[in-house]
Amino acid sequence: MEHCAESQGQKVTAKKAGLLLPVFAIASNTFKEVSRDKVVYTFFVFAVIISFFGLALGSLSVGQDLRIILDLGMFGISTIGGIIAVFAGANLVYKELEKKTCYLIFTKPVRPWQFILGKYLGLALCLLVLIAAMAVFLTLTVYIADPGQLLVFKERVLFIGASLLLTYLELLLIIAAAEFFSTFSSPIMSVVFTIAFWFIGHSTASLQDLSKLFTNSALQQLANFLYWTLPDLKTLTQTRSAIMYGQFPNSELSIYLTAYLVSYVIILLVLSAMVSEKRELP
Amino acid sequence: MNAQLSQAAIKVTNLVKRRETKLLKSFLAISGINLEIAEGVTYGLIGPNGAGKTTTIKLLLGLLKPDGGEIKVLGKPAGEHEALRRIGFLPESPYFYSHLTGREYLTFTGQLFGMQGPALQNRIGELLHLVSMENKAEERTGTYSKGMLQRLGMAAALVNDPDLLFLDEPMSGLDPLGRMDMRKIIIALKEKGKTIFFNSHLLPDVAHLCDKVGVLSQGKLTAEDDLLSITPERNATVLEEYFLSHIEA
Repeated sequence: MEHCAESQGQKVTAKKAGLLLPVFAIASNTFKEVSRDKVVYTFFVFAVIISFFGLALGSLSVGQDLRIILDLGMFGISTIGGIIAVFAGANLVYKELEKKTCYLIFTKPVRPWQFILGKYLGLALCLLVLIAAMAVFLTLTVYIADPGQLLVFKERVLFIGASLLLTYLELLLIIAAAEFFSTFSSPIMSVVFTIAFWFIGHSTASLQDLSKLFTNSALQQLANFLYWTLPDLKTLTQTRSAIMYGQFPNSELSIYLTAYLVSYVIILLVLSAMVSEKRELP
Repeated sequence: MNAQLSQAAIKVTNLVKRRETKLLKSFLAISGINLEIAEGVTYGLIGPNGAGKTTTIKLLLGLLKPDGGEIKVLGKPAGEHEALRRIGFLPESPYFYSHLTGREYLTFTGQLFGMQGPALQNRIGELLHLVSMENKAEERTGTYSKGMLQRLGMAAALVNDPDLLFLDEPMSGLDPLGRMDMRKIIIALKEKGKTIFFNSHLLPDVAHLCDKVGVLSQGKLTAEDDLLSITPERNATVLEEYFLSHIEA
């Protein structure tokens, strides 16, 4: 009986591995595709230049050098990461349809959710590596600007890391949104939709303020509905900036932000898989 | 073996498919096709450009959904994973990831079937040898010629050692030597008892390789016969006359 249960357990594990292997294969292929693209390296070099430019600019200011380096460095990383997330994400599914490489995938025992998840994880991993590499350069410029005491430097590295982790979480949401849009629209439209989604995400708090101004209850409800449906990225940005300058949020807010973004990503990926399931190949 | 041969690898009943032009005009791409192909048979679907040959293959693979009729492939509805595990597909002008090397491409294809480790790498070694691509395996597919892509596409179609093989214009882009090699591969697969369904414009290849042929014209199967009953000598000219007499003007 015990042996039977053990063999049943092995079967379930093997089945799970069988379901995940195509996901990993697609993720690894997407990672190779993005990481072997020369454009990504160009952006990376650009981010490094921005970091060093911050160093030069910082040296011209009095007493604000570290702040300038951190602001400019973070701006470079989040902007370059965002550009890659939007443009690569918007092409994730469409490129497979346009180049007809999807025929290779969907004539194999691969389900649409495996394809969507694999593409997403591949790009997410690529961005993680890229952000980590850019973070190394930012840390280096911070060290060059103010080597200071080891303890203080270690603390700064922790702040940079935590802040970049939130930047990465935001980019994970942007990739999911771009991938979702790319399941049913052209890359140009996906880019437009994703940028709009991102922009709205940073302005949703205004919707709540707006709802208070409406006297019409239907408009009030609509503004509230949009506020609760669209992502709220403003809190994330505020928290990220606070961390950068040494103010860690309480654990409740950290858990809330992570759970909020992860839930959003899951919903977008599920929707992408549903659209792919319904869509007929060209 | 005989009992196995009598089973239908592909069974299509009253297949109908509507498609749209770029101007969103709907037309009947496939109109009431009936097909029954026994296991172990090499079937050639011939027809002029736009007759619906590629659409038929896409329907059989489950890439397109039929608007009417029923498709059974290896006893399962088209596109079902249990059947797809036993199917190999070489598309017309195979589509590749130009950032991958030939070996990486085959590894990726194998992994989609759930294959991994030394078993997959051994299989890839065999296939690269079969299609004479061992010395190009570490180069990116973006640098390959059309003939090399076709060979790699054939290797990818065979990675799972399929029972049923769909070949869409398998000789397309190949030079005479490449065509001869491809013919040898198909003959070897026939000898192993594989079922092969292929579309081709090249009637000499169809005459040489097929057991049965069907003529598709304007989405209709206008004729279907055993090849040897059309031309016992496998003569391409006789097959051409047969083809011309069955296509609709």
